[in-house]
Amino acid sequence: MYGWIWRHLPGNAWVRGVISLVLVLAVVYALFQYVFPWAEPLLPFGDVTVDGASAGGAGADQ
Amino acid sequence: MAARTEHDERAGTSTSQVDAPPVRPRGRHPVATAVSVFGELLITAGLVLALFVAYSLWWTNVLADREADKQGDTVRSRWADGPGALDTKDGIGFLHVPAMKNGEVLVKKGTDPETLNNGIAGYYTDPVESGLPWDDEGNFTLAAHRDGHGAKFHNIHKLKNGDPVVFETKDTWYVYKVYKKLPETSKFNVDVIQPVPEESGVKEPGRYITLTTCTPVYTSKYRYIVWGELERTEKVDKDRTKPVELR
Repeated sequence: MYGWIWRHLPGNAWVRGVISLVLVLAVVYALFQYVFPWAEPLLPFGDVTVDGASAGGAGADQ
Repeated sequence: MAARTEHDERAGTSTSQVDAPPVRPRGRHPVATAVSVFGELLITAGLVLALFVAYSLWWTNVLADREADKQGDTVRSRWADGPGALDTKDGIGFLHVPAMKNGEVLVKKGTDPETLNNGIAGYYTDPVESGLPWDDEGNFTLAAHRDGHGAKFHNIHKLKNGDPVVFETKDTWYVYKVYKKLPETSKFNVDVIQPVPEESGVKEPGRYITLTTCTPVYTSKYRYIVWGELERTEKVDKDRTKPVELR
């Protein structure tokens, strides 16, 4: 998979290295900016209240 | 261009090895290709999970602390004209817990994630409405994150009986003393935030404070509860001199 990407990047090894770095940074940015903020409320790691509702706001259980 | 490179290599004059291996050297078996791709996907998944840990435990703190500082400054500048009357706009006040070593925590209404994710503490409106410090009696019930998003109650386990918990409003310091802890309870246990939290051993209405967060650290399986009772109040003076507990 990564080998395939590498072979299809243009330029010599240096150019490919720079493009790869930019691609990696773009992926990390997308993860931090969009994917993780979306995924986090779906995971049960950040619920701190005692209303019994999940962080997603499933409604109060008493 | 590819053709020229191939030609160069055949001629033995190329210094570049980049294009050297053909796409499928010696005709790699499809199963080998599949295994290789699967392995790379696993590695990728591992890296993404590691990044998620960094996001949860570091990056959300960076964002939340930044936001909490901003919102705290807003309240501080509203209060800049001296003690005066109670002012609860933009936040009702600041929580100071010396044992948690986390400075001051802005307190606002509500415990929904959007509020708490700003690196502040919220007082309950649901399922049991919180009392407020200036009420004659009631239970001032607060929640904040244990990890990530500012992690304002991260050190809640450092609190011991007798430790001061000070709440600062525009005009008054409310000095509470911790009298009971519940290191682990169900998230469905809403009795801990009742106006008279009988689970802490008290029977009479009074002026209580309840801190809630999740436990164990890094998870949300249970809730950690700390109760305190109001010991005294102090009027805020012109210089906002801190009560002795905070000096």
